[in-house]
Amino acid sequence: MLLNRPLVFLYVILAVSVGYLISALNLGAPISESGLTPSFFPILVGGAAIFFCSILILQKLRAEPEKFQSDVPRNYTHIWVVVAIFFYILGFKPMGYFISSGLFVFALIVLFSSFEKLLQKAAISAVIVVIAYVMFQQLFGVRLPTLWG
Amino acid sequence: MDFIFLVFNSFTLLLDPFNLTYVILGFVIGTVFAAIPGLTATLAMALLLPVTYTLSVETALMACASIYMAGMCGGSITAITINIPGAPSSMMTALDGYPMQQQGKGALALGHAALGSMIGGAVGALLLIAVAPFVAEVSLLVKTTGKFSLLAFAIIVVVIAQRGQIAQAGLAACIGLMLATVGLDAMEPITRFTYGYSNLTAGIDLMPVIIGTFAIAEVLTQAVASNDISAFAAAADKVKIRRRDFLPPLSDIRKIGFGCYIKSCLIGYFVGTLPGAGGSMGSFLAYTEAVRTSSEPETFGKGNPKGIAASESANNAVCGGAMVPMLTFGIPGDPITAIMLGVLVINGIQPGPQLMTAQAPLIAPMLATLLFSAVVLIPLTLYLLGPYFIKIVSVRKDVLYAVIALLAVVGSYVATYSTFQMFMALGMGVLAFYLRRNGFPVITMLLGYILGPNLEEFLRRSLALSNGDPTTFVTNPDSLFFVLLTLVFVYFLVIRKPTKNPTVSTGM
Repeated sequence: MLLNRPLVFLYVILAVSVGYLISALNLGAPISESGLTPSFFPILVGGAAIFFCSILILQKLRAEPEKFQSDVPRNYTHIWVVVAIFFYILGFKPMGYFISSGLFVFALIVLFSSFEKLLQKAAISAVIVVIAYVMFQQLFGVRLPTLWG
Repeated sequence: MDFIFLVFNSFTLLLDPFNLTYVILGFVIGTVFAAIPGLTATLAMALLLPVTYTLSVETALMACASIYMAGMCGGSITAITINIPGAPSSMMTALDGYPMQQQGKGALALGHAALGSMIGGAVGALLLIAVAPFVAEVSLLVKTTGKFSLLAFAIIVVVIAQRGQIAQAGLAACIGLMLATVGLDAMEPITRFTYGYSNLTAGIDLMPVIIGTFAIAEVLTQAVASNDISAFAAAADKVKIRRRDFLPPLSDIRKIGFGCYIKSCLIGYFVGTLPGAGGSMGSFLAYTEAVRTSSEPETFGKGNPKGIAASESANNAVCGGAMVPMLTFGIPGDPITAIMLGVLVINGIQPGPQLMTAQAPLIAPMLATLLFSAVVLIPLTLYLLGPYFIKIVSVRKDVLYAVIALLAVVGSYVATYSTFQMFMALGMGVLAFYLRRNGFPVITMLLGYILGPNLEEFLRRSLALSNGDPTTFVTNPDSLFFVLLTLVFVYFLVIRKPTKNPTVSTGM
C-alpha cells in the first residue's frame, strides 16, 4: 500500500527535504577558493535528510501492511486543539488577553471533556484566566494585551 | 578548589526568601509534573522557560535545578503506589516498589525511594562540583577541529543510542539541523531559508522550539490519548499512606549495603555524562548490576528494597552527570539539560570552559541548589506531602491541559511580545507531535537544532584553517580522540549486538 498515514508523513518530510536541498543549491557553489560557503552545510544536511527519508520509506513499503482497525473510532481532538490555538493567536492582540484567553481555555476544557456543565466550565475558565493574568502581569511583569490598552 | 568554595558559599543565596521560594516552588511543581502519568518535569521546565526572562540568571537556574532533581524522584510516587511510573526514569522502581505496596509496605517503599534519590542526588551533585572544573580545564585543550568532532560525536551517539530507530533518529537530527540553518549565516552576511520573511532573519528562536516541542506537542498527544484518569483516581483512592512508615529501618539499609548505593550512584553519574542516555538508562543499568551482584537475585521483582535503592540512586545521580557536558562543552545530555542550556543562552551566557571560571558565580548557586534539593527537599517533601501526593493523579485532565496550553501559548509571546513567536511555537508543536506519533525521537531533533550552528561553524573554520584538507580531523590529536571515541560507540551500539540478560525482565 503506497498510501497510509506513516507513509504520507514521510512523503511530506521528503518533499520538505527536497525543497530544502533545492534552496540550498540555489545559495551557490558549496566550495569556493576561500573555503566552504554558506551552502555547503545545508546541502550536506538536506542530502542526509533525503537519504534517511528514503530508507524509512523503503522500510515501510517492504514491511507487512498493518491491519487497519476499522472498529476503533478515530479521534480528531488534536486537530480541533490546533484550530483553537490558531484562532487564539489570531485573536490574542485584537480581542485582548481576557476575552481571547477566556474563550480559548473554555474551548479546550470542552474539547478535553464533554459538552456538559458549561456554566461550571465557563466559571473555571474565568478563574484560570484571571490567575494566569495575575501570574504573568503582576508577578513576572509581563505586559499582556488588553482592550483598555 | 576556588570553585568548590564558591559553590558552598552560594548556599547563602538559598537563605534569600525570593530565591528559596522559587527553589521550593520549582521542586513542588517538578514533583507534581513527574508524579502525573503523561506529564514530565521536562514539560514543567519548558513552561518555566518564559518566566526566566523576568528572573535573574541565578534564580532561574536554581529553579531549574530543583525541578530537575524533583523530576527524577517524583515519578517513583505513582510507580510504587499504583504501578504507573510518572516518569520513564522510575520504570525500574515500579518492579520492586509496587510488589512492596501490594504487601502493605508502600510507605516503606516510598521511604527507600526517597533515601536512594537523596543519596544519588547528593553524590551526583558532589561529583559534579568536584569534577566539572577539571573537565572545563581539559576542555581548553580542545581546539576548533576537536570541537567539531566532539559535537559530531554527541549527535552521532544520540542517534545510534536509539536502537531500532536509527533512521528515524537520524532524520529527526537532520530536521533539527535544518531548523538551525534558518536565518543569517554565522560567517558571511547572507540570509538562508528565510524566503523574504524578515521575522526569520535572526533565525528560529529557542523559546518556541522548546515550548512547541515539549508543551504544545504534549497537549496534542494527550488530546488523542484515550487514557481515562478515573482508573488512576480509583487506584489512588485505595492507597493509604502513613508518615510514620516512611523511615526505612537500619537493618534494611544495612542489607542493601553502602556499596550498592555508591555503585548505583557512579553508574547513574557516568551514564548521565553520555549524550542522550538519560535517567531511564541509568536506573536500568544500576538495577541490572544490583541483580547481577546479589546473593538472592530471585527476590528482585517481588519487593526487594535493593531494587528500589539501586534504581533511584542511579536516576538521581544522572542529574549531576548530565550537567558536566552541558556546562563544560555546551552539549546537553537530555531534554532537561537542553532547556537549561536554553536558559543560559537566553541570558547571553555561552557554556564552555570560561563558564567555570569567569562566570562561575552564576553557575555555583545552581549546583548548590542541586545538592540542597537532594539532601533537604527530597525527604522534606516526602514527609510533608507524601500522603497527599498520590491524590495528584486524580486531577481533572480537561482543566490541566487547558492550563498547560494557556501557559505555553502565552509563554511563547513573552520573549518578543510578538504573535509570530506564538505561531512558531504552534508550528513546532505540530511538527513535534507528528514526529512523536510516527516514532521519531524528538530529543535528536532538539539536539540537532541546538548544536547545529556550532557544528557548522567549527566545520567551516576547521577546513578554512587546514586549507580545505579534511584529514585535519584525524591528524589533530584532540579531534582524533573524539573520532576514535565515536567509532568505539558505533562498534558497541550498532555493530556488536547487545546480549540479553535473562535475569532481568521489566515486565512492562
